Amino acid sequence: MAEEMKLLVDELRERLAVARQGGSESARRKHLDRGKLLVRDRVDRLLDPGSPFLELSPLAATGMYGDPDGPDTVPSAGIVTGIGRVSGRECVVVANDATVKGGTYYPVTVKKHLRAQEVARVNRLPCLYLVDSGGAFLPMQDDVFPDKEHFGRIFFNQANLSAQGIPQIAAVMGSCTAGGAYVPAMSDESVIVKEQGTIFLGGPPLVKAATGEVVTAEDLGGGDVHARKSGVVDHLADDDAHALRIVRSIVDTFGRDMVSTSSTTAGGGSATGGVGATPAVPEEPLEDPEGLYDVVPTDSRTPYDVREVIRRVVDASRFHEFKALYGETLVCGFARIWGHDVGIVANNGILFSESSLKGAHFIELCNQRGIPLVFLQNITGFMVGRKYENGGIARDGAKLVTAVACSVVPKFTVVIGGSFGAGNYGMCGRAFDPRFLWMWPNARISVMGGEQAASVLATVRRDGLEARGEDWSTDDEEAFKAPIREQYEHQGSPYYSTARLWDDGVIDPVDTRRVLGMGLAAAAHAPVPEPSYGVFRM
Amino acid sequence: MFESVLVANRGEIALRVIRTCRRLGVRSVAVFTDLDASAPHVREADDAVRVPSYLDVDAVVQAALDTGAEAVHPGYGFLSERSPFARALEKAGVVLVGPSADVMDAMGRKDAAREIAVGAGVPVVPRGEDAGFPILVKAAAGGGGKGMRIVRSAGEHDEAVAAARREALSAFGDDTILVEKYVERGRHIEVQVLADTHGSVLHLFERDCSTQRRHQKVLEEAPAPTIDAGQREAITSAAVALARQVGYTNAGTVEFLLDESSGEFYFLEMNTRLQVEHPVTELVALVAGRSLDLVEHQLRVAAGEPLSFTQDDVVLTGHAIEARIYAEDSFGGFLPQAGRAEIVRWSPHARNDHALEDGQVISTSYDPMLGKVIVHGETREAARQALVRALDETAVLGLTTNTGFLRALVASDEFRDATIHTAWLDHEGAGRIEAPTDDVPRTLAAWVDGAVLTGGDPHPFQLDGWRHGGTPAPVVVDLDRAVTVVRDGAGRGTVDGVPVAQVSAAYHKVVAFVDGRREEAVVNSGAHGVEVVHRGQRFVFTRPDPFADPAAAAGDGTLLAPMPGTVLDVRVAEGQQVAEGDVLGVMEAMKMELSLKAPVAGTVTVVGAAAGDQVALGATLFVVTADLSEPETAPTGSPSDNSAAGGPHA
Repeated sequence: MAEEMKLLVDELRERLAVARQGGSESARRKHLDRGKLLVRDRVDRLLDPGSPFLELSPLAATGMYGDPDGPDTVPSAGIVTGIGRVSGRECVVVANDATVKGGTYYPVTVKKHLRAQEVARVNRLPCLYLVDSGGAFLPMQDDVFPDKEHFGRIFFNQANLSAQGIPQIAAVMGSCTAGGAYVPAMSDESVIVKEQGTIFLGGPPLVKAATGEVVTAEDLGGGDVHARKSGVVDHLADDDAHALRIVRSIVDTFGRDMVSTSSTTAGGGSATGGVGATPAVPEEPLEDPEGLYDVVPTDSRTPYDVREVIRRVVDASRFHEFKALYGETLVCGFARIWGHDVGIVANNGILFSESSLKGAHFIELCNQRGIPLVFLQNITGFMVGRKYENGGIARDGAKLVTAVACSVVPKFTVVIGGSFGAGNYGMCGRAFDPRFLWMWPNARISVMGGEQAASVLATVRRDGLEARGEDWSTDDEEAFKAPIREQYEHQGSPYYSTARLWDDGVIDPVDTRRVLGMGLAAAAHAPVPEPSYGVFRM
Repeated sequence: MFESVLVANRGEIALRVIRTCRRLGVRSVAVFTDLDASAPHVREADDAVRVPSYLDVDAVVQAALDTGAEAVHPGYGFLSERSPFARALEKAGVVLVGPSADVMDAMGRKDAAREIAVGAGVPVVPRGEDAGFPILVKAAAGGGGKGMRIVRSAGEHDEAVAAARREALSAFGDDTILVEKYVERGRHIEVQVLADTHGSVLHLFERDCSTQRRHQKVLEEAPAPTIDAGQREAITSAAVALARQVGYTNAGTVEFLLDESSGEFYFLEMNTRLQVEHPVTELVALVAGRSLDLVEHQLRVAAGEPLSFTQDDVVLTGHAIEARIYAEDSFGGFLPQAGRAEIVRWSPHARNDHALEDGQVISTSYDPMLGKVIVHGETREAARQALVRALDETAVLGLTTNTGFLRALVASDEFRDATIHTAWLDHEGAGRIEAPTDDVPRTLAAWVDGAVLTGGDPHPFQLDGWRHGGTPAPVVVDLDRAVTVVRDGAGRGTVDGVPVAQVSAAYHKVVAFVDGRREEAVVNSGAHGVEVVHRGQRFVFTRPDPFADPAAAAGDGTLLAPMPGTVLDVRVAEGQQVAEGDVLGVMEAMKMELSLKAPVAGTVTVVGAAAGDQVALGATLFVVTADLSEPETAPTGSPSDNSAAGGPHA
């Protein structure tokens, strides 16, 4: 058991290590030869010395573009996003990786950039953009440029985030072409690296094509031009390191009250007195989180007690369980993670009416008290069958789904096993706006299990065939079901999920406590409104 | 014994005297100037009186009278050798802890002192034609080296004398020339004498203060390492004879020049007070197996008590060395330093006579000596090694001191071999003591800085470099350059790849193995940088300020007219070398005068306007092309003597 989970974690670490390298070796060498820092080194130097970095979806775009069997063409979707500390406060960092296809935006690159801005918006975190991008990836422009959640949304977000008092800062450390030019231009304050950064709506080739004017990139939109003449940027830096120091200094000038820092958050401006309460002193769990490798079976069909997980995640392994004797397939209770009060909702079997009602009750309680919710998701679904349908499980399930959907406290979801069907909804899947959603490497996600899907589809087909009086051999049926199982197996993988940003990353189970802590600290920046709910079907 | 003594001094010597007073049950009275109102000696004394200046005779005498002090201990420097002060005290009925005013006068005049020495049969530096070569030819009225000539052979003699006369005449209007023996390699040997008012005169052996820089003593030791028993007997006897001859009372020092080549010694002068370096004598001249307190004996003699021991009771035991800590940048042209001594650490393995505390402001108003580190050992080598260690443990942060220089000097082969003569540091030894490199200090600075920067309470965003499923990110600290620190939880790690294993770190002091060698340093990490004292030497690693130099970010030596206006003045020509910030010209615009300053150091390659020209906005006025090589910036010059006490503290 332990060995299997460790193998999965090793695979995860391996994938992360590969993704972290960024583009090809030759691309990286070329980048370094220009005197530029690699993207993750830029992020490291931007952050406070020793700052942790909660990187978001580092395995985005895995297997999505190029040769599916070759190395990933667009590691990390060519953009690094995440949360780290800069000048003592948590900030969202968005940094292009110019060694990956020149930092151009693939569809998932856009999605990842927008997701980072969403994280900044809901948690009220300043945005720091390290720009080094050739703009949209032109061969896929139809999936990048025109739609609501496409390229333009980046600038829409910048304007609106700024309007909400969330600082927007850009450092131009390379190309910043076409639409990309608006990243610095739309920022509150910006920096450019001389003889390195360029900003123009149209580059020299386009200018030549359009007007015949021949101009160098530096004269068209270099650092000197923008710092002295155009006023597009506010600071001129000597090199990457200097630019990053200027950004750090800019962050240091944000008023102390503009966005409260996590260490001083109190009340968070919340009328309900909710999330912002000063956290308690963190305590390590009494049970070693490494034990998670042993207690959790990698096969989601094998049952185990989810309290084994909770004990290894929460402060001092202390868990105040709510309604332990009722609706036992859903474990609810209060605990602390890194000193933050949380309400935990964890699957311990299939969802029945009672467990749904218990969950809805508990979620209301947390909203009443302004306590963030943590969902530990391992769910095959709601119970099916006549007894349960007739008993109104859909009505009780809807209560749970309504409570989750209308929650105003920050929600965090960790898929620690299966995430199937309506269970995904009741347990705060991606569609229910958890502040963050992470997956363990053993997780599976799909509308139903591959076997069930194959059986359902085979049954439908068999019924059709038999209605026409045709025969269907067992071998034929198996041949029919195999590719369906295979498809579900492939698409149910956490890497398939994380590639498409259905989550914020696949995490080592041992890191669950840490990432939840960072998520809670980030969420504590934003006030919590009064709770209100839609109609509960009684 | 007196009931009450006024200490007419400040700093370490005032503390030194006050502490002996306290031990003897004598009430101590300090005097202080406004600058020193909160100085340690003021707090340490039983009573304190403000004076306009430590040199104000009337005020100090009045302070003694007002506080009922029966005696005044003058320390060294200030009024300690001023006979008018001695006379004023006598007139006021207050005892001076020192010799009589007449003795001070006699010994204060060089020629008179020389005659007394001759009368006492003490050898003096030969003068006139019988001096033998080499000789020194100098203006009788002179000073400052003007008109001075060293003549090594008869052939050079006539021309040198003629040249010296010409220089003397033009410099002083008097061409009288003195000729005396020149000692090429001399050692400074001085004898501590102690005489009571009952006719007893004895010596406490000699000190060697040959390690000097511009006649300022740097290291002092006792006994003298290069003389034999016969020389010791001769030199100490001569000192006693001289003191007897002049009717000396109290503690005094007779200074001699020992010619290394001939072994001859010559009387130089007598200091009629306690010396800065008296502690080395206290540590080696034992009476009945106990070290002496010279201040106690000074007070007893002044109170009329007879000396309680005889010459035979004084036994020379072991070896002592003293190093003087000065506020000066020894490796930067010995420039005097001022500032706030933020953190001060003295060695627990040495006697430290000092009055320097954390946070004390060092001004240039008084002597730049901050304190003295004195060690004792069974042998000279044991003492020398103990002093190296003690200086390693001595740290002053906030301003630069000579401790690192002293440490390197004491560790040098030349000091070990006792071959440093009085002119060595100024001549053949100048520059021989090299500034230590900043590698280990930077490593320790980064190591500590990394820990300081990443410390704090547990928090999910605690600065432990956490990364998703990977090794923690290294800590990059911004010092004079970016330094990468990797630390594990057990105090081990690397700094820019160099292995570091921390032994301890507390109260700014870090002890660690750096690349397998044990190192220690006192480190202070602050917002603007990290300060380190390692082996006595202070290093300041300043963090880059991204806004320090916006002009340099432009990287361009072109000066454009910032407004339309009139050029009033052009101060440079094409081809001229300029430093950054030099005013190249002045223009007037919008009723304001603007100085046009060189944005970079270099050569003026374009002068685009002349005085009186009307220029448009953005007109190129000057172009300065940056030089490829850095300009020479080595500081020169000597530490000016800002001491209110005046003259070297001998």
